[in-house]
Amino acid sequence: MSMTADAAIIGGGVIGASIAYRLAKAGKKVVLCERYDFAAGATGSCDQCVFLQSKNPGIHLKLALDSSAIFQDLSKELDYTIDYFKHGGMITIENEMEMAVMSDFAEKQKKIGLDVEIISRAEAAKRQRGLAGHLLGCTYSPQDGHVNPFKLTLGFVKAAQKHGALILIDAEVFGFKLESGRIKGIKTSKGDVEAGVTVLAAGAWSPVLAKTLDLALPIKPRRGQIVITEPVAPYVTGNLLSGQYIVAKYHPEILADSKSLAVRLGVGLSLTQTSKGDILIGATREFAGYDLRNTREAIREILKNASRLVPGLEDLHVIRVMAGLRPYTPDGLPLVGFVKDREGLFIAAGHEGDGIALSAITGVIARGLICDGKAYTDVSALDPNRFDA
Amino acid sequence: MTGSPENEIYICRCEEVTREEILAAIADGATTVKGVKIRTEAGMGLCQGRTCRRLISQMLARTRPPSDIYPPTIRTPVRTAKIREYTNGEDDL
Ligand SMILES: Cc1cc2nc3c(=O)[nH]c(=O)nc-3n(C[C@H](O)[C@H](O)[C@H](O)COP(=O)(O)OP(=O)(O)OC[C@H]3O[C@@H](n4cnc5c(N)ncnc54)[C@H](O)[C@@H]3O)c2cc1C
Ligand code: FES
Repeated sequence: MSMTADAAIIGGGVIGASIAYRLAKAGKKVVLCERYDFAAGATGSCDQCVFLQSKNPGIHLKLALDSSAIFQDLSKELDYTIDYFKHGGMITIENEMEMAVMSDFAEKQKKIGLDVEIISRAEAAKRQRGLAGHLLGCTYSPQDGHVNPFKLTLGFVKAAQKHGALILIDAEVFGFKLESGRIKGIKTSKGDVEAGVTVLAAGAWSPVLAKTLDLALPIKPRRGQIVITEPVAPYVTGNLLSGQYIVAKYHPEILADSKSLAVRLGVGLSLTQTSKGDILIGATREFAGYDLRNTREAIREILKNASRLVPGLEDLHVIRVMAGLRPYTPDGLPLVGFVKDREGLFIAAGHEGDGIALSAITGVIARGLICDGKAYTDVSALDPNRFDA
Repeated sequence: MTGSPENEIYICRCEEVTREEILAAIADGATTVKGVKIRTEAGMGLCQGRTCRRLISQMLARTRPPSDIYPPTIRTPVRTAKIREYTNGEDDL
């Protein structure tokens, strides 16, 4: 079978789905190809946070705020329940070093427009039971929320289909169609798709496909392991992150000399509870190639860390563990835009640990750049060519 | 088909997913146990699919040749244990 489209999208994760929806809604003829099924990659093996406080003050936070604004009414817009809830979130502060980093972080975030403050341990205990006694306090923002990543992805997919998009699952993309140096679509297990624009949204696997074009992308798979407990009555209020995560992500130099296993595995607490009651306890940040296995040492370190910060968790039962591959980039920002010297190729990948939170705005940016030649705001920081020597 | 008593039985007891809902997921394009899971949450319950996985596989097999069906991704652990047991360092995950 041979198909033609305005846009061929590679990848049925949350990013590909969000873009498919926006382009189809704008009247473009869209074909999306996913090699397995929706949410088969990182999107199906992740946490559920739309966490704003964890974003670097600057364009990163601004995009997260704009994405969050879209989430407020997205169930209605998509006519699909995505289980988005804005319950607020906190980041634990364990020592003076974290207090200094978080105070500075929060001050800068306020200037971008985030409602965030530092609260005492006693105040924090009113919002979350079971917190450790040694905490100095927490940051708190009422704007943090969470969303069900499966439902979000399916919501985008269904809405895209309503606007005429052709969505193919079980359709592996093998490579690109080229015509006098220009990318003219994709070759897939379900036939060729000829398209004016080809959107590479294959998450951590994007570099594998880019390589067939001799294009070296700076994206690397970064494994995250995560633990899931039995469903229990509401226990986690909003989302809870640890200051370690922020320090590890934005000030790696502080931890550079650490010999601790937890630091080496990039363990930082991420705690949230689903509507059904399961508690998700994350996570590691490790470079392990495309290895999707869970490791014993990581599970133990994740749980040790979680029960150190929230001892109240200790008596819950673990029912499952999983691992996903986040698409890492060196500066923590995704690559969104047209690729230089590869005419016809648009990339939207590299959201590392923020792809769920940034999915809504990524679709809007992609639509702007593809349909109007410009986004609603300056997105030059996301330029996929920014790492070119 | 809809509304027949047979379709109202629970295939996944933990998550209370009926036969009818599983059939709807298959009609929606699910080709794998995981595909059924993301659409219905079947298999995500306390027993982690131990009861329902085989039944769902059978239902999929009726729509697709078995050789076409990806094996489900079964997530460890094999039994549930308290968080305390992991952090105490007992090596029996
Ligand atoms: C443990 C963990 C916790 C996380 N927690 C959060 C969180 O709380 N909040 C948040 O915002 N983000 C979180 N993330 C990050 C988030 O999961 C990712 O940023 C996001 O899912 C990336 O989406 P994506 O669509 O780019 O990639 P993916 O979801 O990986 O999708 C890529 C898709 O492309 C498909 N594909 C690959 N190659 C091909 C091919 N050749 N042909 C066709 N299809 C192909 C894959 O099958 C896959 O479905 C977490 C990640 C992990 C691992
Ligand atoms: S019966 Fe389906 S998860 Fe237990």
